[in-house]
Amino acid sequence: MRRLLASAVAITAGMTAFAHAQEKTVVEFGYTYSYLFDVTFQKILPKFQAENPDIEIRVRSAYKDYEDGTNTILREAVSGNLPDVSVQGLNRQALLVEKGIAKSLEPFISKEADFAKDGYHKAMLDLGTSNGSVYGLPFAVSLPVGYYNMDLMAKAGVTNPAELPKTWDEVVDLCAKMQDAGIKTPMFWTWNITGNWFLQSLMWTQNEPLLKADKINLDSAAGLKSLETMNKLFRGCAMPNYSFSDAQKAFAAGQIAMYYTSTSELGAVERSKGDWKLVTHEFPGLEASGPVGLPAGGNAAMLVSASKDPKKLEAAWKWLKFITSGEGAADVARTTGYMPPNKAANEIILADFYKQNPNKETAVRELPLLREWQPYPGANGLAITQVLYDGIESIVSGEATDMPTLQQDLQDEVNDLMPKK
Amino acid sequence: MTTASVSSARAGLLFVAPAVILMAGVLLLPIIAVAVLSLTDYSLGSPEFNWVGFENYGKIFSQSRYQGMIQATLTYVLVVTPLSIGLGLGAALLINSLRWGGAFYKTVYFLPVMATLMAMSIVWSFTLHPTLGIVNQSLASLCNVEAMQYWGWFHRSCEQGFPLWLGDRNYAIWTVCFVGIWQGFGFNMVLYLAGLTSVPSELYQAAEIDGASSPWERFRLVTWPTLWPTTVFVVTITAIRSFQVFDVVHGFYDQGAGPSRSAYVILVAMYEKGVKENLIGIGAAIAVLYLTFVLILAFVQKSVAAKREQVA
Repeated sequence: MRRLLASAVAITAGMTAFAHAQEKTVVEFGYTYSYLFDVTFQKILPKFQAENPDIEIRVRSAYKDYEDGTNTILREAVSGNLPDVSVQGLNRQALLVEKGIAKSLEPFISKEADFAKDGYHKAMLDLGTSNGSVYGLPFAVSLPVGYYNMDLMAKAGVTNPAELPKTWDEVVDLCAKMQDAGIKTPMFWTWNITGNWFLQSLMWTQNEPLLKADKINLDSAAGLKSLETMNKLFRGCAMPNYSFSDAQKAFAAGQIAMYYTSTSELGAVERSKGDWKLVTHEFPGLEASGPVGLPAGGNAAMLVSASKDPKKLEAAWKWLKFITSGEGAADVARTTGYMPPNKAANEIILADFYKQNPNKETAVRELPLLREWQPYPGANGLAITQVLYDGIESIVSGEATDMPTLQQDLQDEVNDLMPKK
Repeated sequence: MTTASVSSARAGLLFVAPAVILMAGVLLLPIIAVAVLSLTDYSLGSPEFNWVGFENYGKIFSQSRYQGMIQATLTYVLVVTPLSIGLGLGAALLINSLRWGGAFYKTVYFLPVMATLMAMSIVWSFTLHPTLGIVNQSLASLCNVEAMQYWGWFHRSCEQGFPLWLGDRNYAIWTVCFVGIWQGFGFNMVLYLAGLTSVPSELYQAAEIDGASSPWERFRLVTWPTLWPTTVFVVTITAIRSFQVFDVVHGFYDQGAGPSRSAYVILVAMYEKGVKENLIGIGAAIAVLYLTFVLILAFVQKSVAAKREQVA
């Protein structure tokens, strides 16, 4: 017993000495959506640790969603316990830059010898660029795609992926056929994705941004076309006012034939779906040639450290770079439906992976269409998101029937909330 | 004043000081801070703010969004309060009249009270799923029954699908009310059961001798008046709890506040503005409005209870 005690004391003493000898640099880290990304970080962390034994990554509890992530950072900034690196929604980056919480990455990038060669290409970097300098490196990027239940599609005579709809008009026609065949909910269009992502996707489809010169661009011809396309889709397909998760359950259960949502849901859908054939295909457009552009969804890693210690900042940059490039980025694709925002990871490391997982490749084919997921400026940014959400819901519920009136109402209400010059 | 009484007064002050300081620190100061913030346009994380006077309150009473909030809140309070009190009283009277098995019913009716509402809202949203939920599946299985087809609503639903209890603006607030009543009436039942034990049985005998032969007469003449103090308390508590409704709505609709904002109750509005959208100024104004509602209720209860005592 005494010997056991003695050796225990000796081991403890030894460990303390070891710990002191290896003073590790601690990097505090926070990310969003634990149900999607826990698996990803379980893969990345050991790899990073093996390469950088002198850095310890301390993971904070995950943010529930992008809004929660932004709010958490804002509160932490007020109370003075910011993490060092934080993963934030692509459309929420500007807010953190505006409030002076996010740090510019330019000083670190300028020290890197071949940054472009590491696979960061311009379109991706643009997503995190504000006033000419880079503040965020995209970590996981998504695009809207079409999900099809081929068993149900067969009832409308579509059996070959090449025959899947290319325009929203074709979708409405298919809906009519399916309703005749007894399918009650032929289609669901996830208008309720955060940040009015699907409204922005219809705008970019016509090559128009939702925000133009600090003004909401809904009163344009493209704005009206977007609202009318939604109205036509929702009415023509008798789309019910499902919540996001109700729709996912119904699609997994094989009750919905055509389901339009983000490629990021692919992992979750594949895990939960019943016994039917799933095929993903390019997002339809207004013309047969498809959309001209689509908004990038997903999130970016930002440096939000309040520390002045260069050693700590250097360690934070190493981690930030690791998760957004090479093997770290490749693990994003392997574990989720997201794409790594990194050319090198997509084209070299993952070439075989996409051959084996064609459903995950759909979004990669759409990459040339990638456009900005526009944030709304000012303190009312999140309130504007809610106003547009409510407006689109009134189309879904059938409350709004006259699109030009709705267009004008939304235009006025949003402009009211925009920052006054 | 003698030195002795001065020092004892000082000692008295020292004794109450901890309680007073705590009350000021955790109750009064935060309320004052909220009241002050409600006069600004502060948004979280901003370095500065402006004084806007009563503009935030003006918005609450003029914009349609907040009129909807007041309408939803009042609908909920005015439906849930009377129904959950009525059901609670009814259940208590029935259980009280049982010779055996009362404990079983008490437990069953009290179970929803003990459940966490947030978890229950998740369970309810599974149950009420438009096509996969047990409610609509059970209803659909009755479509083969001939007799049910005479009910117009049922017949239509069989053909077009049963309602989206949570996603249709004609049903949403009523579904939320239903869950509120389901969850709350067991609590009122327990309060009434406690009240019923204090009704002396001699009174019933006396009433019977005086000619009150029917159960309804006995209830009207004996039970109801004796239960009056309990009722005043139950009404206040239930009304305040109904104003507090938040978790069900938040659990059902974590993005909006029900279809066409039909379930935009006051605490959801406060959370949406103050916490989700970081607009602390307007959020604080809603909080002050909420506090006023609750204070009015408390004062009404106090004056009603006091009047009754004078009559008695």
